[in-house]
Amino acid sequence: MRFSEILRIALIEIKAHKMRSFLSFFSISIGVISIMYTLTLIYSMNYRLKKAIEVAGPGRINVELKKRWEAQSDMEKKQGREALTYQDAAALSRVFPQLYMVSPYMDKWVEFSDGYFSDYIGVRGITPQWKKRGWVYKLKGRFINEYDVQNAQRVCVIVKEGGWIKKPKWMKFYSYKDPLQNYVKHSELLGKTIKLGSGLFKVVGILEEPPAEKNPRSFVGVGMWEPKVLVPLSTAQKFLSGWSELGSDDIDGIHVDTGDPQTIEKYKRLIEETLKSLHGKKLLFNIKDYREIMKDQMADKKRDMLTVMIIGAIAILAGGIGIMNVSLAAIYSRIKEIGVRRAIGADKKDIMLQFMTEAMLLGFFGGLAGVIVGFIGIQYLAYKGDQNMAMLSWWMPLAAIAAAVFTGFAASIYPAKTAANLDPIEALRYE
Amino acid sequence: MIKCLNLKKIYPLKSALGYAALKGINIEIRKGEFAAVCGPSGCGKSTLLNILGFLDIPTEGKYFFMGEDASSFSDSKRSFLRRKKAGFVFQSFNLLPKLSVIENAMLPLLYLGVSRKDAHKKAYSLLERVGLSSKSENDIMELSGGERQRVGLARALSNDPEILLADEPTGNLDSENSLQVLTLLTEINKERKMTVIMVTHDMKLAAKAERIIKIKDGEIQE
Ligand SMILES: Nc1ncnc2c1ncn2[C@@H]1O[C@H](COP(=O)(O)OP(=O)(O)OP(=O)(O)O)[C@@H](O)[C@H]1O
Ligand SMILES: [Mg+2]
Repeated sequence: MRFSEILRIALIEIKAHKMRSFLSFFSISIGVISIMYTLTLIYSMNYRLKKAIEVAGPGRINVELKKRWEAQSDMEKKQGREALTYQDAAALSRVFPQLYMVSPYMDKWVEFSDGYFSDYIGVRGITPQWKKRGWVYKLKGRFINEYDVQNAQRVCVIVKEGGWIKKPKWMKFYSYKDPLQNYVKHSELLGKTIKLGSGLFKVVGILEEPPAEKNPRSFVGVGMWEPKVLVPLSTAQKFLSGWSELGSDDIDGIHVDTGDPQTIEKYKRLIEETLKSLHGKKLLFNIKDYREIMKDQMADKKRDMLTVMIIGAIAILAGGIGIMNVSLAAIYSRIKEIGVRRAIGADKKDIMLQFMTEAMLLGFFGGLAGVIVGFIGIQYLAYKGDQNMAMLSWWMPLAAIAAAVFTGFAASIYPAKTAANLDPIEALRYE
Repeated sequence: MIKCLNLKKIYPLKSALGYAALKGINIEIRKGEFAAVCGPSGCGKSTLLNILGFLDIPTEGKYFFMGEDASSFSDSKRSFLRRKKAGFVFQSFNLLPKLSVIENAMLPLLYLGVSRKDAHKKAYSLLERVGLSSKSENDIMELSGGERQRVGLARALSNDPEILLADEPTGNLDSENSLQVLTLLTEINKERKMTVIMVTHDMKLAAKAERIIKIKDGEIQE
């Protein structure tokens, strides 16, 4: 028998029992929806993780002072008197010239003022190394260069936020507007002289961020806040009068990129040894693998997704059992029909294929319904502002439907075999 | 064309011996013959017909169909023979109520892998032959008993079988319809030189066949 005929019979059968068919594909749909939901989450999170690491640098290591509350023992607390210095960073790039990036930084809180506008803001002192990673900007004017750092020039570069292409609805409730960003947006600061604390600084560059939807830096939100005004590191150390507990050559941390994830472990060890040889036990610091930081942040979300996935699997299983039940029940109401078909020449394979096609078709319809509902739901969620939902890949609906069809297949093996093995004569005699 | 040698069918029962429905049948039926099988209820007529139509296998003895020993064929081989060489007409019609008249008539062709279009054409011409072409798109439920049996006949003929097996085809029909079905069977037997084996209780109908095979208690009494 041609497959188109088998398909036709299956459709007739499904149509003849609409309610029964609906019930058995209903739970398949629910399973498919939750599987699609989780797939989207996993996919977009992995994408974001990859992007975040790409932007941060594949071999990214953060060297930071241990916070006071991170110090382990009283001993450590007493010993730890020294801070990281610019010299440490210089030493690292001298000892390991093969490191792609060694970017020291320090943050200070100062008053930004220009004409009538003033606001307390964070300012980050940096070196030209800063632009080696995470460069997603469009630069107007120029960036901070070696000369600026060596001569402690009073220049600054301001990061201008990209805003949103289409602002998600939930963001509208969150009405806080950064006053500085608002000011930057509405006035042309490039080339102007502004005040940071009590010093005058020339704005030599504006870094324009891409819109938030396209900015990998905003993909991994937590723990990624950075000051939006950049000055040469030496200038920050010498002239910025804002509050800081650091000494004159001290810095907050060093961002390192080995350039290759393979070498992270090696350099973590080497950097630790180097810093210890420079400071002895007086420096308490952490070396964090950036990927670890990101993965910790994702771990919670992954647990949630696993739960949803399990619920989905259970729903699909329930759907499968439903299909099995329907198929078995269908056999009893169709014994006579099976007998007739066998008498006019259908062999076991034909009967088996018949039942399996029917169940797989049920699975397919359930999967299709689930995909449609799930797709609408995911679009709605994405529109509502759950950014994770925005990324629905073409293969996800296909995978979900395939899972549903497979469920139908697996659930129908036993009933189909039972039907095929009926004795034709007894089936014919059945009333 | 058909040759049975000492054909036995023993149904296993709870008692050790089992029940012998056929106790050694020896017959020969030539191509194009019209044979009526008669005998009291329970004598084994249906059992014999099922074996001749490859639905069942004998417990003992040989069944030669066109020179081949069909008594030991596998299920799939017998399915193939039913599909290709045999046509069945049943007492209770055994049409599929979910399908229309013409879809019922073309079903064997679909199992043979014929395209829907060709099967439709063939089935329609057969419905014309049995005088039902005007009702080809009707539901089975809308037909009278006599009409249903004529659909059954069209279905049995659709694969151009070598042998047409009818188990009490008139058992559920009144005398007028019975006669009509029997006339069709004899006509087809003549037209197509088709071997027809018909089980019947009705001696008047059996008398119209070329040959009467009488069975009693699983044995032939010709
Ligand atoms: N599956 C079976 N198991 C046990 N006994 C059976 C089975 N099928 C048929 N029989 C017995 O075999 C005998 C012959 O049955 P069969 O159906 O061939 O009779 P028949 O001649 O067609 O009768 P009728 O004219 O009533 O249709 C009967 O006595 C019946 O009870
Ligand atoms: Mg009988």
